[in-house]
Amino acid sequence: MSGIELLQIWIMAFLTLALLSFLYKDNPAYKLAEHIFAGLSAGYYVGLIWDTVIVQQLWEPLIAGKVLLIIPGVLGILMFGRFSQQYSWISRVSLAFVMGTTSGIFLVTQLHGLVLAQMRSTMRSMAGADGFADLMLSLVIVIGVIATLIYFYFSKEHKGILGGTAKVGVWFIMIAFGAHFGYTVMGRVSLLIGRVQFLIQDWIGSFNQII
Amino acid sequence: MQQMDRRWVYLMVGISVIIPFLLPMTLPVSITPEARMLYDFVEALPDSSTVMLVFDYYPSTIAECEPMTIAAMHHFFRKDCRVITLSNIPLGGPTMAEAVTRAIAEEYGKVYGVDFVNLGYKANYVAVLSGMGQSIESIFPTDNSGTPLSQLPLMHSVVNYEQIAFIFEVADNATADYWVSIVNAGYGVPMGCGTTAVSAPKYYAFVDAGQFVGLLGGMKGAAEYEQLINRQGDAMVGMGAQSLVHLLIIALVIIGNLGFFVGGIGKRRRIG
Repeated sequence: MSGIELLQIWIMAFLTLALLSFLYKDNPAYKLAEHIFAGLSAGYYVGLIWDTVIVQQLWEPLIAGKVLLIIPGVLGILMFGRFSQQYSWISRVSLAFVMGTTSGIFLVTQLHGLVLAQMRSTMRSMAGADGFADLMLSLVIVIGVIATLIYFYFSKEHKGILGGTAKVGVWFIMIAFGAHFGYTVMGRVSLLIGRVQFLIQDWIGSFNQII
Repeated sequence: MQQMDRRWVYLMVGISVIIPFLLPMTLPVSITPEARMLYDFVEALPDSSTVMLVFDYYPSTIAECEPMTIAAMHHFFRKDCRVITLSNIPLGGPTMAEAVTRAIAEEYGKVYGVDFVNLGYKANYVAVLSGMGQSIESIFPTDNSGTPLSQLPLMHSVVNYEQIAFIFEVADNATADYWVSIVNAGYGVPMGCGTTAVSAPKYYAFVDAGQFVGLLGGMKGAAEYEQLINRQGDAMVGMGAQSLVHLLIIALVIIGNLGFFVGGIGKRRRIG
């Protein structure tokens, strides 16, 4: 292990312990680590965007002769109008372009790729069931989808059959929340495991390099 | 019970995580059908297929996501697949891709530019995913280290998604949705997904709908894939701690509820 690698490990260990120290109470070490993270992230992000977007996808092709790139370049510059109260309206031209293209792309892709595909899958789940158990599971999915959608139907008061179905929908939503909560616990614990693994294996493991 | 300082809970969780590393315990990991399906799909790919491995996760979720990319990379290289990596995450994505691929490639004697390429990062994932359907080179004129794609032999035979046999998206955010809606639905490229545990429940529906060939959910999913490729990694090591903390949390939930109800009954009796 080189000296630089050793230094990296010790910096990582200090920042990890500084951030975990917040669990006891707020303190200057935690604040320092938090500010380093915010500053480094912002600096890194600006540098990365400058290099990968402005230089590689705008400036270099532009000087190579792709003159049409002037249009997105100018639209990008117009966004800076937001820094001036007098000229902030200029940025609306670029924003209108961004909103138009984004909604155009998203409308088609989300509908085609997510909504229709999931609807098709739900409708077909019973027809394609493999055996009795699979059919029952498919039935649960179909009932769950319909009951949950009815719960989110607010144009009629939830009474009678509608109210009963909405209550079934609430049960499905609660079960889904439970599954999400269980997975969230697992996810958060995994992050702690990752840090502890680093501290024990890499940081404490590096002690023998120093001694 | 309800007056207990929550820092005692943090301490108990911390100790439960540390113990399995000091006294290693190997617990069995059951394989879910979703992980098995993913493994079987990769296993069935023709040798030397070109695949994409997408590092769409931040360094904060390395513990969950990196074991997945490492395991997938081993599987791809064992099958002699040619691997293209990229990231839609600015902070750390391309660097993690570089670190993971270089280390594993060395193990298998794979050559950069011939057997694997790291395209790096480009902003605006919607434009990136859509644009690669026409031409990967138009979106990534160079690789992560600035080498023009025209100088990389692997990229001579890869123009767009048509030459990609499989995409494995490892994500800790909603980019998987866009890969499905833009790339899988739009171009028909088969996809698998590895995601953090927090996001996993949402993506099971994508497997059922046939939009993902399989799914790995969190550290458990990563451990399953490590077991499937028969190579113990960080996820399998971490599962001991995971199980112990889960037992602790179950115990705390039970004790907390008992305390709440017993305390409540006591209060009601006093009032009565």
